[in-house]
Amino acid sequence: MINKVKVSLSEKILFVFLILLFLITFGSYFLLKDKCLFVKKINLNEVNFANKENIVVMNVECGNVIIELDPAISPNSVERFKSLIKNGSYDGSTFYRVIKDTLIQSGDLEYGNIDDINYTKIGTGKSGLGLLKSELSDEFEFKKGSVAFARKDNFDTEDSEFFITLKDIPIYQGEYTPLGKVIYGIEALEKIKSGNKSAYVLRPDYINYFKLLD
Amino acid sequence: MRILLILISIGFITAVKADEIYNLIKIPNLDIYKIDTKNKIRYLNTSNDFRIGLEKNITCARTEPNNLSNKFLIIKKNLNSYSPSFLKKNNIRYLVMCENLFISNINTGGIPDTKKRTLVIDINFNPKYFERMIHHEIFHMIQKSNSKYFDEEKWVSLNTKDFEYAKCSTCSDRLNLDLYKNTEGFLTEYSKSIPSEDMAEVFSFLMTDKAKVEDKSDNDIILKNKINFIKSSLSKIDSSFKF
Repeated sequence: MINKVKVSLSEKILFVFLILLFLITFGSYFLLKDKCLFVKKINLNEVNFANKENIVVMNVECGNVIIELDPAISPNSVERFKSLIKNGSYDGSTFYRVIKDTLIQSGDLEYGNIDDINYTKIGTGKSGLGLLKSELSDEFEFKKGSVAFARKDNFDTEDSEFFITLKDIPIYQGEYTPLGKVIYGIEALEKIKSGNKSAYVLRPDYINYFKLLD
Repeated sequence: MRILLILISIGFITAVKADEIYNLIKIPNLDIYKIDTKNKIRYLNTSNDFRIGLEKNITCARTEPNNLSNKFLIIKKNLNSYSPSFLKKNNIRYLVMCENLFISNINTGGIPDTKKRTLVIDINFNPKYFERMIHHEIFHMIQKSNSKYFDEEKWVSLNTKDFEYAKCSTCSDRLNLDLYKNTEGFLTEYSKSIPSEDMAEVFSFLMTDKAKVEDKSDNDIILKNKINFIKSSLSKIDSSFKF
């Protein structure tokens, strides 16, 4: 006859430890996988905007990003930016160029859309609307969250590509055409996938949609 | 598709050295030294050695802090001779300071790049000529930005008919930078290399030792004509410019 085996205290502790280890392992797998977990979500209905006509909303994987445009500094560029947003040109546009903790770039309408991305030509696409003259400002400070049109090496080559700074970059003052500033949601942009050692990103994150608030 | 992604990723990872300054002027390993300046020149320091150029033939080394702080004062003093509008017209915006600048293994004082509006300066250049070298390189940026005012054929015609410049600035042994006692149309041996170097020598002496050069030109009609040529061309670029 087999006597009933009594479980010792150390065996009980070991059992509890194994259960906890299992829970932590699987819990953290699902939690860590969600890169947006700690990003504060912006509810547009809870925010009052003074100049609604200059507010645009970019939706990315980790939520909404609210940008206030500044047409007083760069009227033609802001007008172009708004018209591209209005007709949905930026929807699906990838953040193909990301300098980690420094800036993110998007807006190649020809080769940079997530539905038809062309890795060999990305960054050279055109909007079809022609180039714009640079509208530079010695007053606009490139603080964290500044939004500006990207350009080629020369001035007056702005088209549709834009970048957003993830830190203060004072040296860009007077170098790029400013469009406005992120007023809410910079945390969502800080989660945009980077290429680590490279500025270019494979299988990049993208803009779900971009719309005018008004 | 997967193979294509792998191939592209190799290219992406090896090709780009990304930071915000590289993004702007395509020189890696720089940091801001001073950007809030009266004439809007932005001084950049080399924090780590770099190698640039299509064939990676341009090299320069990181700066040593004490050396940099001493040379910066000299560079700034000389750059302050130019107004912001003059610098803008001549595409001079960034000044990169580094040590031991070489192009294809030839030591050089500076490399002007008007497209990037950048002048790279070797702060270890011979102290005897250091200040003049700065203006010499600035002249190259002025000339490149306004080539129509610096017609080299016209300049050559100012010399005696029997004189010939070398084919290029580095393919002759006319390299000495000391001021001639008897100028005979040329301020230094290096002036005899090519027309643009001759112009740059006249300009740099006018910026650093105007009285002496003008004094020499009193007895040297060729030199006098060259000085007038430079002055006249500069006045077309900026009527308020004065030596």
